[in-house]
Amino acid sequence: MTREEVYERLTGVFRDVFDDDSIEISDETTADDIEDWDSFEHINLVVAVEDEFSFKIPMGKVVTMKNVGEMVDIILDLGR
Amino acid sequence: MAITSFGFLLMVCAGGALYYILPKSWQWAELLVLSLVFYCLSAEPYTFIYILISTAAAYICTCYADSRRAETDRGRKVAVGLGAGAVLLNVLLWFVLKGAGLWMPLFPKMASMPFVAALGMGYYTLQMISYILDCYWKSIRPQKNPLKLLLFACFFPQMITGPISRYSQLGSLYERHVFSYENLTFGAQRILWGFLKKLVLAERVGILVDAVWSLQAQEPVFLWIAFLLYPIQMYSDFSGCMDIVIGTAEVFGVRLPENFNNPFFSRTIQEFWQRWHITLGTWAKDYVLYPLLKSRGMVRLGNRARKKLGKRYGKFAATSLGMLVLWMVLGIWHGGVNHIVGVSLWYWALLMLGELCAPGLKKLTAFLRVNEDSFSWHLFQSARTYLIYAVGIVFFRADSVGRGMAFLKDLIVGTFTGNLHLEKLFDRSLLQLGLGAADWGILLICVLLLVLAAVLRERDGYARRWVAKQILPFRWFVWLGILLAVVIWGKYGDEYNAVHFIYQIF
Repeated sequence: MTREEVYERLTGVFRDVFDDDSIEISDETTADDIEDWDSFEHINLVVAVEDEFSFKIPMGKVVTMKNVGEMVDIILDLGR
Repeated sequence: MAITSFGFLLMVCAGGALYYILPKSWQWAELLVLSLVFYCLSAEPYTFIYILISTAAAYICTCYADSRRAETDRGRKVAVGLGAGAVLLNVLLWFVLKGAGLWMPLFPKMASMPFVAALGMGYYTLQMISYILDCYWKSIRPQKNPLKLLLFACFFPQMITGPISRYSQLGSLYERHVFSYENLTFGAQRILWGFLKKLVLAERVGILVDAVWSLQAQEPVFLWIAFLLYPIQMYSDFSGCMDIVIGTAEVFGVRLPENFNNPFFSRTIQEFWQRWHITLGTWAKDYVLYPLLKSRGMVRLGNRARKKLGKRYGKFAATSLGMLVLWMVLGIWHGGVNHIVGVSLWYWALLMLGELCAPGLKKLTAFLRVNEDSFSWHLFQSARTYLIYAVGIVFFRADSVGRGMAFLKDLIVGTFTGNLHLEKLFDRSLLQLGLGAADWGILLICVLLLVLAAVLRERDGYARRWVAKQILPFRWFVWLGILLAVVIWGKYGDEYNAVHFIYQIF
């Protein structure tokens, strides 16, 4: 899986979770950039990402990831 | 030893002086010795055994999980078993000793048994559970020195009311510190500010609130005063204690996490819980809510709910269930049935209602063209949040759910049956509540100071940083003024012993 492929699928997940088809994400995107990305939605997002990519993100990573870039790194790492 | 006592200040001064004289590699060991001395002077020394058990369990399981033995299939299973056992042991010890209020009514014969919990058990237990889980989740490397781990469990400033620190936040506990004038002055100023909140404000409001609660038949206007002032007592008591705790740690160069961030500025009750008792809220979110919502069973349940109720309500149902469990855990941690039924269910219901109504309310405010950035709208939202919080903590203050309900009923019925008698606010009736006219004046001044500090903090970060930028005479005027206020107006000394902190019981 390339970084671009991950971004394509991840953008779909973000748009679905936050019900907003205009969302664009980048490495620097954080919870501050997406209005509804609060602590509730964070875990819903993680569960949706796990569902999309068919693996479990370790709990330690769930609470420490700071931006989308880190999320993509984790996905690429787990997908290896 | 109360942290508002002269003895505590003496210990901090002597300990602080020694700390910067000793070789730097000994500093953490001195903190451990100070913590042991503080523990022996503040609690039954033998109860320290519970902290030792908790630390030993965490040490053994995390070191095993990090060792080569845990790399085989069997080793992994043993490591998971040891970790689960250590977490369960912590929970069980807490439940038997600190959660006695929950099970004791079922076994009344055991009421006479001498169950004495360790000091700060509610706080260090959560810290040790987070340490074990963080090690297992590989967020941190285990501490290989058992004495350093013991220091993490029993670091003396946080033994009274937390904060509930994460191991990753307390790296400065083991660092070598050179003397810093800024740490010393900022620490001392923070301690002083905490003293003002606790000894001058919280103790006065406490007299008032206790007076209203202790009377059977009560004027509705007095009930309103107790109802509206109790959140201020809670805040000044708990955050005052936090100021003393964080300031003390700062003297030793140790940064503890903040527990409050201007909670009364919150626009919603959800935001309120992100600004009030922050370390407990984030602990519950990271170690209860997230693992639960991420578990296979909950994901399956969420998917089923989405199919039946649609995307939005299905997601809402799963989140609500997770939040209910989280609030029940918080209720159990606070240790009383009335807390679980009154406080937890109330806040959970309001949070979920807020979540459910948020899109509709957003449309309504847009339709009414409400300027959401205006000061008056913010003020309205903060006042609404304050009232919601005040209703919940009626049950925190009441000794039973029935008593809490009766208080609220008297408040509402009295108000809407024309018995409010607002003239009692001005005809010296207020002086019947245990505070003289001067005390009322002091209370008012302190509340205004609190608001001023909160505004400065919201605008500039810490209020003391704003003070530090001012000219020398102004700085001295501020800090000497606060010192004199504490010395002259503070409730302290041998004859006055009601200086326990509300959150000390956990």
